[in-house]
Amino acid sequence: MHPGRQLGVLGLVFVVLYLLVFFAAGASGSWKQRLEPKLGLDLIGGTQATYIASQQGAPPNKEDMETAREIIEQRVNALGVSEAEVVIQSDNTIVVSLAGKAEEQLKSLAQAANMRFRLLTAVTGDVSSVAVDPPSAAPSAPASGAPAASGSPSVKPSSGAPKASTGGQGGGAEAPSPSVTPSAEPSAAAPSASAAAPAPVTADIKAQREAVAKKVGAAWAAAEKLTGPVDLTTDPTAGLPFKAFASLTGAEVNALDPAMQFNVPTISCKQLDQRPNGSIDDVNSTVVACYNGAKVQLDKAEVVGDDISQAAPQLDSTTGQWVVSLDFKSEGQKKWAELTRKAFNAGATEPCYIAASAFGSSGETHCSVAVVLDKEVISAPQIQAVLTGQSQITGDFDAVSAKKLADQLNFGAIPVTFQAGPAQTITATVGDQQLEAGLLAAAIGLGLVAIYAFFYYRMLGLVIFLSLGLSALLTFGALVFLGRSIGFTLTLAGIVGFIVSLGVAADSFVIYFERLKDEIHEGRSPRSAVPRAWQRAKRTILSANAITIMCAVVLYIVSIGQVQGLAFALGLSTVLDLLVVFLFRHPIMTVLASTKAFLSPRVSGLGRVLRSSQTEEPVSSRVKEA
Amino acid sequence: MANSSSLANRLYRGEANINIVGRRKMWFTIAGVLVLIAIGSFFIRTFHLGIEFAGGSEFSVPAQVAGKTITQDAVYDAVRTAVHAVEPNAQVNAAQQVGAGAEANFKVRSAALTATEMSDVKQAIATDLGVAESDISDQQVSSAWGGAVINKALLGLAIFLVLVTAYLVVSFEWRMAAAALASLVLDLLITAGVYSLVGFEVTPYTVIGFLTILGYALYDVVVVFDKVRENTRGITAGSTRTYAEATNLAVNQTLMRSLNTGLVALLPVGGVLFIGAGLLGAGTLKDLGLVLFVGMGVGVISSIVFAAPVLSYLKDQEPKIKSHNARVLARRAQRSDDVAAGGERTRSGNRTASDEVPAFAGGTTPRPGARPVAKRQGGGAGNRPGGKRR
Repeated sequence: MHPGRQLGVLGLVFVVLYLLVFFAAGASGSWKQRLEPKLGLDLIGGTQATYIASQQGAPPNKEDMETAREIIEQRVNALGVSEAEVVIQSDNTIVVSLAGKAEEQLKSLAQAANMRFRLLTAVTGDVSSVAVDPPSAAPSAPASGAPAASGSPSVKPSSGAPKASTGGQGGGAEAPSPSVTPSAEPSAAAPSASAAAPAPVTADIKAQREAVAKKVGAAWAAAEKLTGPVDLTTDPTAGLPFKAFASLTGAEVNALDPAMQFNVPTISCKQLDQRPNGSIDDVNSTVVACYNGAKVQLDKAEVVGDDISQAAPQLDSTTGQWVVSLDFKSEGQKKWAELTRKAFNAGATEPCYIAASAFGSSGETHCSVAVVLDKEVISAPQIQAVLTGQSQITGDFDAVSAKKLADQLNFGAIPVTFQAGPAQTITATVGDQQLEAGLLAAAIGLGLVAIYAFFYYRMLGLVIFLSLGLSALLTFGALVFLGRSIGFTLTLAGIVGFIVSLGVAADSFVIYFERLKDEIHEGRSPRSAVPRAWQRAKRTILSANAITIMCAVVLYIVSIGQVQGLAFALGLSTVLDLLVVFLFRHPIMTVLASTKAFLSPRVSGLGRVLRSSQTEEPVSSRVKEA
Repeated sequence: MANSSSLANRLYRGEANINIVGRRKMWFTIAGVLVLIAIGSFFIRTFHLGIEFAGGSEFSVPAQVAGKTITQDAVYDAVRTAVHAVEPNAQVNAAQQVGAGAEANFKVRSAALTATEMSDVKQAIATDLGVAESDISDQQVSSAWGGAVINKALLGLAIFLVLVTAYLVVSFEWRMAAAALASLVLDLLITAGVYSLVGFEVTPYTVIGFLTILGYALYDVVVVFDKVRENTRGITAGSTRTYAEATNLAVNQTLMRSLNTGLVALLPVGGVLFIGAGLLGAGTLKDLGLVLFVGMGVGVISSIVFAAPVLSYLKDQEPKIKSHNARVLARRAQRSDDVAAGGERTRSGNRTASDEVPAFAGGTTPRPGARPVAKRQGGGAGNRPGGKRR
């Protein structure tokens, strides 16, 4: 191959890489800013968030905390190669630290990701504001009625049910803003069935209930008597006795029996949304949630996230919408088929049928199965068939949220619930001093290698030095680009990784030059020695580097956190080293071999092996020092 | 007066003539003793685990107390002094500022302390910084690295070993793979042994460094084995040297490269270690520099004096090589009667200046470092042993 061509290819690589550095993957700002690599937590500090955990109100046990920590760590690492630190503090706090400004990313980290599939059994309106204060609804309505207003448009009006959200939106005085009304009324029977056998509660919950009872006073007794949701369409003032419930906090609402949460009209979706995380995770109890601006009652969870073997984001080709596809484990598949059969075959008298038709579509009605993630109902589609294979979760997804949900499902549910504290900035653990020292060490290392190379290989040292420089430039460019595009962050460990690879890169020269020496020793002219030495050295370099790359790839795929970062640095620098070896060093040597000076001991040091040592005293004494 | 037989010069030419493989019993004994010491140390002295593995204590001090502002360095110094007063060898990590403005506080993590030690430390910090003791809070922190990372790293290690074995078996042969792995295991055991014996702290960076050594140690071995393979290709066709001798020749030929490589790789790491330990005291750089320096140093040495001897031992068990070796030795014994000291007949045409150096007594055994070919000009590899060229 012509040396010029290889150098040309190398030039092209440089041009492309630096074009990417300056113009691709969201490059912005001044030229200098575009050249900044993404630095890690230990070097520039970052953002720290604290999550306080609890398990059904009590401090969680140790194993669950550790599991939670691991899951959070996996979720953080799914964000990119960014080496977050996740530490358990005391016995109920998890502290997550991420490099740079990362408030956004920290927000959803500690969500439990408990997925539940529950039959939707009853629907009632979210009408608190009107219920509390019907005569003068106008001023107060926009405030607390907002959730209903924003939610309701998505409930298909096509259902024909007079559930328009006039209560919230219009602010009309008497406007009864019942939700799913008439059709929902018969559902009153359903909840009473489940309410008939209230789940046994812990002493803790009992105490909370007593506190709430005291707070709401007389309303408690009234609420206890309810067997179904209060229908405000017939009597807009029916909600008045329960007015006190509107002032409860999310935690207080959560302490109530699910039936009461559902039946008391003054408990709004807003309050339900404020319940602590994990409040509706219990698989064995009926729960209340909000969906499309209406309160819904959901049956026991027949299928849970653990039944899912694999989740993946997918773009549905027919609708153009993002969905999350699910593969169930074999046991889970059975349960899922059972649940969908139940939903599909439900008769017109079953509560779920009535509830579904309230939300309903104009066509044939089947029961809905709600897909619940943590506190949120992601979607509640009517089941159109008994599903025995892969299934999909549809919802209001975009590419990012679909991937997020899939990741959450794959990485599992966090066994404890968290109260998130504020995100705070933190300074670097290692700091400027160590960064400077690291760079200084790199400079010293490079200097020592250069001195040694010049001393031992004379002018060939220049070739080593130049190609180390080229490697460094390539590595730097790749760092900047990868930092922006895949979130690769450079930590002190990474810097040391690169320093180590400096030695390994220089080593491929040693292999080559020693080969060259051998060939010349055997009596070849440089012109013929260079290609021969290259042929042989190439094989050695390739098989040796293959091992390093293999090591890097395996560690990158398997490991997490800082090990992954190290593996990345190692692999990257090895590949770039090979690039420089093939595209720079070999062609340069080919060019050099045709010069006369090449053989002069003063220039390359290679000629020495040709002379008898008696005439080369100074040289051999220097070699001794080497 | 430097002459052609000075060690440096012979090294430079790849003719150091050091009998390495021939003394394999000695190397095996040394390696065995070292391994025993290392393993014994694992059990007796165990490892000194850092905060990141063992968990620790965290002290936080507000940045502003009663209108007074405290600096990060002051907090770090105060905590370090206080912790070292109760536990002289405890690891203390750098201080970190959390939050900004009036809310800001500094957190310093140290090795795990007992409750009484913690309250002593708090008191000392409070006195030192002039803040109320109640302003300083302390917590136990779990291991930041925990089992997950280690388990995954070990899993990675296992997968890597399987893959690399497969690779070596395919591109070399199983005996070379076995020898390479044996030397890798030796490296890891000895490095870990040094850590256990000296009581260096094992931090995440130590583990990272450890994983780096993996690739490096094998890399070095592969380079030596590549030469061995070249030297021994078609060795059974001739009858000039035994497999062990050919291996030794390869080791000698690559000795200069190994030393150069070792030096070139250790120089930068030495820089890291020097800066890390010398200028900054404790910290990431020192942790990394130390493990890399020890591991890579051991790696270079073991690729020379352990991997090749193991390989020659394994090869000597192979029937083909066994009979070949016997043939070579028989022939040599037969000839030693009529050949005077001064070299083999077959190689008389290839002699160089260095060949004139009185080599091994008896002269019939080719010197370990002897080059098969060394014509000064022209012809090149005319008299190479069969099959060596590609």
